[in-house]
Amino acid sequence: MTDLAAPSRLRRPRRPVPRTGRAGVAVAAVVLAGAVAACLLAPVLWPLDQSAVELGAIRLAPSGEHPAGTDDLGRDVLHRSLYGLRISLLVGAIAALVATVIGGCVGAVAGTVGGWVDRALMRVVDTIAALPHLLLGIFVVAMLRPSLGAVILSIGLTHWLSTARIVRSELLSLRTRPFIDAAISGGASRARVLTRHLLPHVLPRLALATTLMVPHAVWHETALSFLGLGLPPHLASLGNMINDGQRSLLTGAWWASLTPGLVLIVVTLALATLTGRWRDRLDPRVRAELNL
Amino acid sequence: MGKPLSARVTALAVATALAVAGCSSATSPAGTNAGGTFVVATGGEPETLNPVLNYGVDGGSLIFDGLVARDGRNQLVPALARELPVVSADGRTVTARLRDGVRFHDGAALTAQDVVFTYQAVLDPKVDSTLRSDLDMLTSVTAPDPSTVVFTLKYAYAPFLQRLTLGIVPAKAFAGQDVNRAEFNRKPVGTGPYRVTSWVPGDRLVLAANEKYWGGKPANSGVVVAFVADDNVRAQRMRAGEFDAAELAPKLAAGFDGQPGHRVHRVPTADYRGVMLPMGNPVLGDPAIRRALNAAVDRQAMVTGVLGGAGEPAFGPVPPSSDFAEPSIAGKPAADLATAAAVLDAAGWRPGPDGVRVKDGRPAAFTLMYPATDSLRKELALAVTADAKKAGITVTPEGLTWDAITPRMKTDALVMGYGTPYDPDFVSYKLFGSALAGQGFFNPGRYVSPVVDKALQDGRDNADPATRKAAYATFQKQLATDLPWVFLTYLQHTYVVRDAVVGVTPRVEPHEHDVANSLWWNIDTWTRTS
Amino acid sequence: MTAAGPVRGARRSRRLAGAGAVIRRRLLVAVPVLAATSAGMFALGAASPIDPAQQYAGAAAFTTSEENLAQIRANWGVDDPLPVQYARWVGNLLQGDLGWSTSRHEPVTAVLAARAGWTLLLVGAALVLVLLASLLLGTLAAYRRGGWFDRALRASAYAVQSMPVFWLGLAAIAVFALSLGWLPAGGLTDITTTGTDPADVARHLILPVTVLALSQAPWFVLFIRDAVADSLRDDHVLAARARGLPGRTVLFGHALRTALLPFLTLVGTHLPELVGGAVLVETVFSLPGLGAVTVQAALGSDFPLLAATTLATTVVVLTANLLTDLGYAAADPRVRLDD
Repeated sequence: MTDLAAPSRLRRPRRPVPRTGRAGVAVAAVVLAGAVAACLLAPVLWPLDQSAVELGAIRLAPSGEHPAGTDDLGRDVLHRSLYGLRISLLVGAIAALVATVIGGCVGAVAGTVGGWVDRALMRVVDTIAALPHLLLGIFVVAMLRPSLGAVILSIGLTHWLSTARIVRSELLSLRTRPFIDAAISGGASRARVLTRHLLPHVLPRLALATTLMVPHAVWHETALSFLGLGLPPHLASLGNMINDGQRSLLTGAWWASLTPGLVLIVVTLALATLTGRWRDRLDPRVRAELNL
Repeated sequence: MGKPLSARVTALAVATALAVAGCSSATSPAGTNAGGTFVVATGGEPETLNPVLNYGVDGGSLIFDGLVARDGRNQLVPALARELPVVSADGRTVTARLRDGVRFHDGAALTAQDVVFTYQAVLDPKVDSTLRSDLDMLTSVTAPDPSTVVFTLKYAYAPFLQRLTLGIVPAKAFAGQDVNRAEFNRKPVGTGPYRVTSWVPGDRLVLAANEKYWGGKPANSGVVVAFVADDNVRAQRMRAGEFDAAELAPKLAAGFDGQPGHRVHRVPTADYRGVMLPMGNPVLGDPAIRRALNAAVDRQAMVTGVLGGAGEPAFGPVPPSSDFAEPSIAGKPAADLATAAAVLDAAGWRPGPDGVRVKDGRPAAFTLMYPATDSLRKELALAVTADAKKAGITVTPEGLTWDAITPRMKTDALVMGYGTPYDPDFVSYKLFGSALAGQGFFNPGRYVSPVVDKALQDGRDNADPATRKAAYATFQKQLATDLPWVFLTYLQHTYVVRDAVVGVTPRVEPHEHDVANSLWWNIDTWTRTS
Repeated sequence: MTAAGPVRGARRSRRLAGAGAVIRRRLLVAVPVLAATSAGMFALGAASPIDPAQQYAGAAAFTTSEENLAQIRANWGVDDPLPVQYARWVGNLLQGDLGWSTSRHEPVTAVLAARAGWTLLLVGAALVLVLLASLLLGTLAAYRRGGWFDRALRASAYAVQSMPVFWLGLAAIAVFALSLGWLPAGGLTDITTTGTDPADVARHLILPVTVLALSQAPWFVLFIRDAVADSLRDDHVLAARARGLPGRTVLFGHALRTALLPFLTLVGTHLPELVGGAVLVETVFSLPGLGAVTVQAALGSDFPLLAATTLATTVVVLTANLLTDLGYAAADPRVRLDD
């Protein structure tokens, strides 16, 4: 097969980034910083009892007291959306990290050891890539029983393939570069070459892959929740809230799904806008590999 | 601002479209169904259409008939049996005489051999039937002549006739076949008012009127049962005018209240929800905690808030609609926090600094499990949690899968639900008797009461209605004293039916209802105003 | 595209001469892959704590005795050791018997026969739609990179990407089926019809196919846009432009063609994503496809059905990969299959 993640070729000078683009990035950065700050400070400033309900105040339309209305069980939608974002970002970030660690390790072994180990590992990657990963994820959750850990694992275990491929091909291309040859002929040990010369080149790519995977992981959490296989259903996560709110849609309580939906879209958009600058510098094929 | 703004506007537009569509009450032009065919929609699709493998066991199966059937008040009436089967004086022999001239859809005549085959198939260990557990009193079934069936029982079982609603299948169709895998299970042949034209699993079951039905030709030409698993999609398609009747979740059904052209039916059931409190839990083992919980829960708020009004408060496992219901056990529908506090104070549970009551250094706290995929039980669990908190009891709700729940049932509380309206023995004997305690879902909290055991046994052994009524009154009172469960609500199953439909006759429904035994149990008599 | 001269045709057929050998070699690799996949499925299933008999009983488990359930498990042989079950399954498979689905109560072959076609139709139609739309939109956006169309397209792509498929589906139902009444809200055919009239099925598939295509579109559109934009700066494209060829010819004849090659190989790798989306779309539109039964099978520890659907998907994906490679070889003079 052709090598999918070919090393990026020499770039031509780009046209300057439009002014509006820069403003967009700034807005995205502010939105994201605000979201992260709100998530970090929420437990101190506005604590939430996850299991609290108020049956006397169900499906109240947005008002001064409840700016985003209340849901089917009389819970404040805005308050829960904030905590939902917290959980979803946490799940997304940890799952992306898990995927990056697994993919990084597999890719590093394949790329540095080479030979039959490389071929075998890449065959495994191809095989797993041939399976729909939503189904694989369902499988993992069904086995481990739905819980926070199971959802994180199921996303992490199914999303490391592209990272592995990227790291491997990056290492393969680095191995042919003169400064590595120089290091090896200079008597550097294999471990030293890996940690001092190869790792610094691969790390930025890895960090980028992790960041770019976060929105996708958040999306996966909502999909699993929709199928009833996600986080514990009374926990305020964006997936659970959209799922619950969707039930109220036909009864006229559109606000129950609007706020969590908007929060999900706005934050993923902000993430995408921020990472878009880096993303544009990638080779299109690598980009596609990352499922962007 | 560039990209993000325009994107956010797009997002907002989509969300607004969603919202507007959600609020709008526009009904699309209703498609009229040709040829007097009725379309009904349900979420519960049977996995097989073979009564032996659990299809339509309690009657109303549309395709099959049992020896007996139930009328609109759930009273037994003869069906394939000429008159109600006769029980011998010792209660251990039951004789049924078959109706003459009954034919299966394929034209073959019904004989006693078919009845014998049906029941023997249920008893055969090689057949994967869960009904065997319901018929464990049955020793043998014989046919002394082609129109007589004799059931021999291991012990006298008062409600045995209630078990004879099971649909009868033709023995011939299974000759030399494995009942579990027979073609019949998908393309069944029965004696009922409708015969199966086609079944596309996941989509629809098409039934055509049996013109030669022994009970009279159906008033319409056929029925289509649409299987739509998702509640929202079912409601949307009902609104789009695709169905004549659909079962909907209470809150979704409420959206059709007062809408021209539709009528919402809230059908009373024997389907209860409650919290099972295991005796093995150190906190829940204390009767004071159970009594305080029972007083603290606001059943009325659950009915209006969680069930959208489609239900009634529950205080015991025998539904108020039953002849056996004991009225004295009913408590207050609203929360009674004063009583809860008094009970806890008297038992030595003192409020701690954080409001949680403590006794001998042990806080009043327990875990309440609920099946994660059941949103109703989730909401009830959260309502109980909130009510208990007001009484100083900390509840930790946990949504789990059944395989995670079952091993923990002897120590952790669980939101459970079931119930049939037909006889108080049916579920309660296994659920509250001590003989089977701890086996699977039978009495998982290991509640042991000699009074209840004796009452349940008396109800089973005695045929005399007055004796049985007294026995079940004792049973209900004892449960209300010991409180192995805190019963919360009886559900009402909610259906939306088009106004044009004539002949809808709701009857009290059991927990299990899908194609069979739903609002459309008598759909063969339904007609339409033009 | 442009007419191929005789020389070029001959060269192409020589390039494809190795195709037979490649297919044979691929098959040799595919067999161990499939064996490993099916064994993995069984191992995963065996580790699952779910009791298939209890799933089978459903609500009746409430009144069913332990002996009753144990007898059913014994009838199915699900308590046998894993290697025994796997060996039995492989033995039957070699005789063309895929086994008995415990969650659907029918032969696995019957489940596949009744449902796989609809899923393939849904995925296939969505793939064609998304390919055509993304080629057109992506190329146009790339032509005026940074222009208003490009920015609007990218912004909507990011927005759509962050919307869950089931949300899109419900929105589509709410708007097109309920408010406007243009299209049916779900199902495969009109509920009262008995046959499957192609026109009726097509009308019912418009919404699900569009929603599935839309949900996958961002990936395709963004890729095409980036790839075309990149190739617009390639030497041969710049040369074509310098020769004074019209913009449309350069765009679609040169730049898009160059970008298409890597795209082709990637479509195959994106197929599993499309199948995953189909599971959700089938759920929302109550289509009788493989998606819903697969979820049900996963929840009910139905090994035979799970193994069969997984194998079927893997076969489809491997075949698609092979086809894209062959297509790649046919299109790109630099790739030879027989090396």
